[in-house]
Formats: sequence, C-alpha cells, structure tokens
Amino acid sequence: MNAFLFLRGLKRIPYFQIGFILTLGICFLPLLPGLAGLLLSALGFIPALNQYHFSLLGFYQLLSWPGITQSILSTLLVTLASTLLTTLLAFSIVQSCWHSRWWKKIENLLAPILALPHVAFAVGFAFLFSTSGFLARIAQLLNESTTFSDWEIIHNQYGLGLIFALTIKEIPFIIFMSIPIFKQLNVDKTVQIGQSLGYSRDQVWQKIIFPQWLPKIRFSLFAIMAYSLSVVDVSLVIGPTNPPTLPVLLWSWLNDANLFTLPKASAGAFLLLLSCIVLVYLIRFLEWLIAKRCQGWQVNGRFALPTMGKSVILITYAISFATLLILFTWSFVQRWSYPDIIPTQWSGRFWLQEWDYLWTITKNSALLAIASATIALICVLILHENNAQSKTSNNTKTSKVSLRFPLPALLIFIPILAPQISLLFGMQVATLYIASQHYYLWVIWSHIFFAFPYLYLALDGPWRSYDQRLDKVSLSLGMSPIKVWWKIKMPILLPAILFAWAIAISVSLAQYLPTMMLGAGRISTLTTEAVALASGQDRRISAIYALMQSLLPALFFILAIIIGRKTGKLENRTRSCDKNDIITQ
Amino acid sequence: MTLLLNKIAITDGNHKTLISPISFTVAAGEILSLMGPSGCGKSTLLNVIAGHLPHDFHCSGEIYLNNLLLNNTAVEKRNIGLLFQDDLLFPHLNIWQNLAVALPNTVKKSQRKMQAMETLEAINLSFLADNSPAKISGGQRARISMMRMLLAQPAAVLLDEPFNKLDKSLRSEFRDWVFQQIQERKLPALMVTHDQADLPDNGAVLQWPWQQPKEQLNA
Repeated sequence: MNAFLFLRGLKRIPYFQIGFILTLGICFLPLLPGLAGLLLSALGFIPALNQYHFSLLGFYQLLSWPGITQSILSTLLVTLASTLLTTLLAFSIVQSCWHSRWWKKIENLLAPILALPHVAFAVGFAFLFSTSGFLARIAQLLNESTTFSDWEIIHNQYGLGLIFALTIKEIPFIIFMSIPIFKQLNVDKTVQIGQSLGYSRDQVWQKIIFPQWLPKIRFSLFAIMAYSLSVVDVSLVIGPTNPPTLPVLLWSWLNDANLFTLPKASAGAFLLLLSCIVLVYLIRFLEWLIAKRCQGWQVNGRFALPTMGKSVILITYAISFATLLILFTWSFVQRWSYPDIIPTQWSGRFWLQEWDYLWTITKNSALLAIASATIALICVLILHENNAQSKTSNNTKTSKVSLRFPLPALLIFIPILAPQISLLFGMQVATLYIASQHYYLWVIWSHIFFAFPYLYLALDGPWRSYDQRLDKVSLSLGMSPIKVWWKIKMPILLPAILFAWAIAISVSLAQYLPTMMLGAGRISTLTTEAVALASGQDRRISAIYALMQSLLPALFFILAIIIGRKTGKLENRTRSCDKNDIITQ
Repeated sequence: MTLLLNKIAITDGNHKTLISPISFTVAAGEILSLMGPSGCGKSTLLNVIAGHLPHDFHCSGEIYLNNLLLNNTAVEKRNIGLLFQDDLLFPHLNIWQNLAVALPNTVKKSQRKMQAMETLEAINLSFLADNSPAKISGGQRARISMMRMLLAQPAAVLLDEPFNKLDKSLRSEFRDWVFQQIQERKLPALMVTHDQADLPDNGAVLQWPWQQPKEQLNA
C-alpha cells in the first residue's frame, strides 16, 4: 500500500515544471550576476579591493592608458570590416552557386568546415600566412627577391590578418544559416519571375532577394559581429599586438597580479558591452536603410554589381582545408627550415613526447564537453517542449495556473550577442561570493550557458517542422504525454537531437575565456593549451594541440551523422504527407 | 507576334521521354490551352519555352518567337511573361514598387512611380499603392501580378494554372479579364490548366497524349 501511495505521489510531482524552473536557473541565471557584477565593478564597487563607493575611477584609468584609442579603433575596424565582408561575400557565394552543379558540394563541405574550431583555424592560418609561413616559402620559390615581411598580415597593427581570418571562418556560418532562409524565400520561383520580367539572375539576387534576406539573417550578423568584437583566443594568435585589440587588453589586465588593474578592466568590459549594443543598432540601422528606407535602388531598373562568388568560395574552402593540412604536416616535422617548401626530416617524436599529457587533457576536454552539452541539451529540449506546449495551450483555455510561457528570443541569444569577456567578468565576481573553489562546476555552468543558444538554434527548425498532429493521434490512442514524447517524437527527431548535441560539444570544446576565467587557470583543455602554445616557439607542439582540438569535435560530428543516417533522413521524418505526395504515388 | 514550337522533345534525367516531338504555332492574341494528367510534362514544356529547363533534363527542337530562335537566348532576354497560380508578388515591396520593378530601364527614375500609379488607376486599385502585398485580397494580388507581367512588355505569355487558387466567385471574372488583356495586346499565350471551365471560348486545346491542337470541344 505504501509503495502504491509512493508511486501515486511520484506521478503527481510536476516534473516538467520543475525541469523548466531548473532550466531557467541554469541557462538564464548567469545573466544576472554577469550583468550586475559587470555594472557594479565598472562603477567602482569592488569589495575585493575594499572599494565600497561608486566612482568613475576605472573609466579614468582606462581612458588615460596610452594606446587605448588605437586599441578601440582597431577593435572596431576588425569588427565592422569582418562583419561587412562576411555578409557581402557569403551572399555573393550563394548568389553565384545556388542550385548550380557546385551547390551540393558546397553544402556538403559546410559541416566539416564549421566543425573546425576557431583557435585551430587561427594557428593553421598563422602557419600559412606568417612571414616564414607556407605562402612565404612559395613566394620565395617563385621569386627569390620576394620578402613576405613587406606585407605581413599576422599580428598586423591594423588587424588585417584578423579581419581576413574571421571573414574566412564566418562565411561558412552565414551560408549555413542562410540556407533555410533562401528555401523559405522561394528563391527558385522568384528567380523565374524576375527573369520573366527581364532581370538577369544576378540582378534578381541583388535587387529582389538580397533585401528580403538581410532582415532574416539579422541575428546571425549580430552573432558574428559580437564574436569579432570580443574575440580573445584568435586575436592572441593572429591579432594586433601593439596595442592589442580591446578584449585582449582586458584579458591581460584581468590576469595581472596587480589587483588594482581590476577597475580599469571592468570599465573596459563595460565599454565593450556598450560598443556591442551600439554596433547592434548600427547594423540594424544599415539594414533598415538598405532594405526599407532607401528602396529606390530596388525599383530603378535592371542593374547589378559584379560578384566573384565562385572565386570566393574556392578561396574560403582552400584556406580552411589548407590550415588542417599544414597543422597535420607540422605535427610530423622534425626539420623544416625556411625557405624549404617541404620538410627535410619527418618524425613522430613530438606526438610520443606529448602523448601522455595530450591524452589526459583530451579526456578532460571531452568529459567537460559531454557533461556541458548533455545538460544543455536537456535544458533546450525542455524549453522547446515548453514553447510547443505554450503555443497549444494558448489555443485552449485551462483552469490550471500554467508555468508555460514562451521565452523572448533576445533573452535566449544574449550569450552569443553580448561580449563574452563582459559577461564572464560579472560571473567570475559572483562565483567569488559563492564558492569559487568548485572550478569544474563553474566551468561546466559557463559552458552550458554559452552552448545553450547554439543548441536552441540547431533544434528550432526540426521542432517547428515536426508535425504536431502525430502527438494528437498518439494521445488519442491512449498513450501518456511522456510516452508519446519518448516513443514517437524523440525517435523522429533523433538525428537532429544528436547533431545539435555534437554542435554543443564543439562549442564547449572551443571555449577559452570561460575555462580560463571560471577555472582560474586550474583547468586545462585542448583549447587553453592550443592558445598558450600558439605564442610559443615550437610550431610542432602547437600543431599537435591545434590538430587534436579540431579532431575531437569532428569525432563527435561523425558519430552523430553515422547514428543519424542509421535512423533515416530528418526531412523524411518531419515532413507531413501532403496532397502532392498522394498524387505522385 | 507568334510563338512557334518545332519538333520539341523532352527527356528527363533517366532518359525517359516526357514529351515526344511536338510542333505547333500560337498566333497573336490566341490562347492555346494544355491539358493532361499530373506528370505528363505540361509545366516542363512551359519551363522549356521560358528557359528554365532543369539541369538533368534534355530538350531538342526549336522555339521561335516572332521568327527569332530562342533556344540559345538568355532567359531574361526571351521577353516571355510568366503567370503562376501563386501571385509571387515580392513581399518586401509595396504594391506600386512591385509594379515599378517591371518597368523597362528606359523609364526614368522620376517617372517610375507615376507610371506604376497610372497602371493601378487603370485597374481601379490605386488606393492600394502603398499597401504591402500581404495586406490585400487574393483577387487584388492576382490582378496586380498580371499587370506587373504586362508592364515588362512581354512578346508572349505563359500561364501555369493561373486561376487555381482563386475562389469561384473571383475566378471567372479574373479569367475573363486576363483573356481580355492578352487579346487586346495581341500576345500569343500558352496556358496549362486542369479545369475545362478555364478554357477560353474560342481558343485551341492541346490534350494529352500530345497531338496537334484541336479546336476546343465546347466552343
């Protein structure tokens, strides 16, 4: 009898509501200490330094630092130039290649390029473009009088290398995010109609499709802008050094043994957040100007700008794969003197030498990533279910008080829209008050926080395209809601869930600042080691860590794709049977 | 103006014959209707004429418009208007801008809005000029879509089930208006339809299995 009552009691526990509250706590709570800690510290309230009064001392210190103007300007230049170039080049690629015979190959190669971590890419990029890099060797071979130092782009003071690298790395992301948008825009029919009105293919893309695409890709543009504005790891490897970009400067102040650099650092973090908000509005303003306010150019006749989409995609993919190839080569080099075009001696010695430590941190990185990605996945599933249920419950009046309400998209995407260093600064301050010695806990928490929006985005499409009628039919057959989810919905969406999980793992594996700041330097991952070694002298060791950093997420992607393929294509599973299917059968 | 198809044959990616060699002429102001079951190649034939043959399909034969061979002419230079069952108005532009898009390049910037407004006045829809396509009725969208096509001054018109999505009350009225516009401008037109009721009173019909057009049965 007692057991029966216990089981009945268990059934009455509102699991979903508890899960939803936990999700809010895990994924959104860090925003509060993140923003509050940042604001209070920026205004001089830092109890750790016995500063209990509000002041603008941090801002004075920041603005009187020699080189701060140049640092801010180069940060803004890098951000604006890379975002603008990425937007235009990604669009020109799709314009030139959409549904051409190249398109399928371009689409298939997106996943491996997206899986390549930024840090590994930056290390490989430096090996290619540095003054003694692979391209310099080729240039020397072709013309002995050529010196690469004349047009050095790595650690260039205006950030040219950083702009170039970020553009090449973000182009595949924007293409990836644009594919569902172009499908939704019914591009093929629009091109047909445009051409029947006398427009060439390029003119249709630029005059009719671009103004429709721009507002829809807005959030992705915000994300790449925020990333470029606040990037530390890539900037440490290839960015300007004298002075460095603002986030790198802040990072060096935060690491300073002298705690009195803290007000300056917090004021800088606040400034970075403000810059991000201003740039979000600037992008929004430009979009409004181009797509809505000044529409004259869209209706003034049949003109188009020349594009080089095919060349751009070729360069993007060639550089992305060349970085992997150069990392692989360097990891087996014994001797490769400048200007030799190929190594003169090969060896696996460095792999053997590093293996023990490499294996330990690989395990460490993988465990951290699996834990963070799995918890984040559970949270995202709860949130998507909540959104799906809240849509249904809006249509049906219930007497029960419901916790189900859709969360605003902005709240979900803040972790990828706000500069990481700004949020982490506040989170780090908050952990000092709670229990800062639980480094693993805080690092996992921060990884969940930053992986969450990517996971949410990855599962948004599949959740929307899932045919809700399947749930209704299953419920009408007498199945419980949990059983319907477990037996019907989950198996159908499994490939998407696995792929999203792999995305979350790759995001977690790539986290540098959260691991360093909340782990207080006590937790090592492949990413933290790859960044630390990138500034060292031995390219062979750097290559090994950077290569491992790219192989690990690729492994999880391959795993997800294999399991997903065994269970069938997602499109076939989520597609509802429409009239055309019946006709063609 | 005449549209002439000479021995047009189409095969799909698996070398399966979709349309065996077929020849016909559509005279100025004439509306030739294509009828047949789904998958018999009606819309593919329109795509061939418009220049939108899918990559893996193959087409032989010649297409002439006003005695000019179209086979190797760029799609946008063929001067052939298209009307689908979906109006496909551009959703980011308002109504007058949707019309202005179609005006020839020779029309000056300052004149474009005025000409678009004149077109709207001609169909008594000028009050919709600044509206978004999403905010007007299906019948109004269909009319504007037709006018947009005509503003581009096509030399021939292809209609792919253009009345399918309209409700009964609008359908016959819109159909008569479209036919009237085509005949007034003396454009050769080819129309794909499933519905006998959509056939023009004095037009010819090409019925599947394809053969030379017959005079419409119920004419």
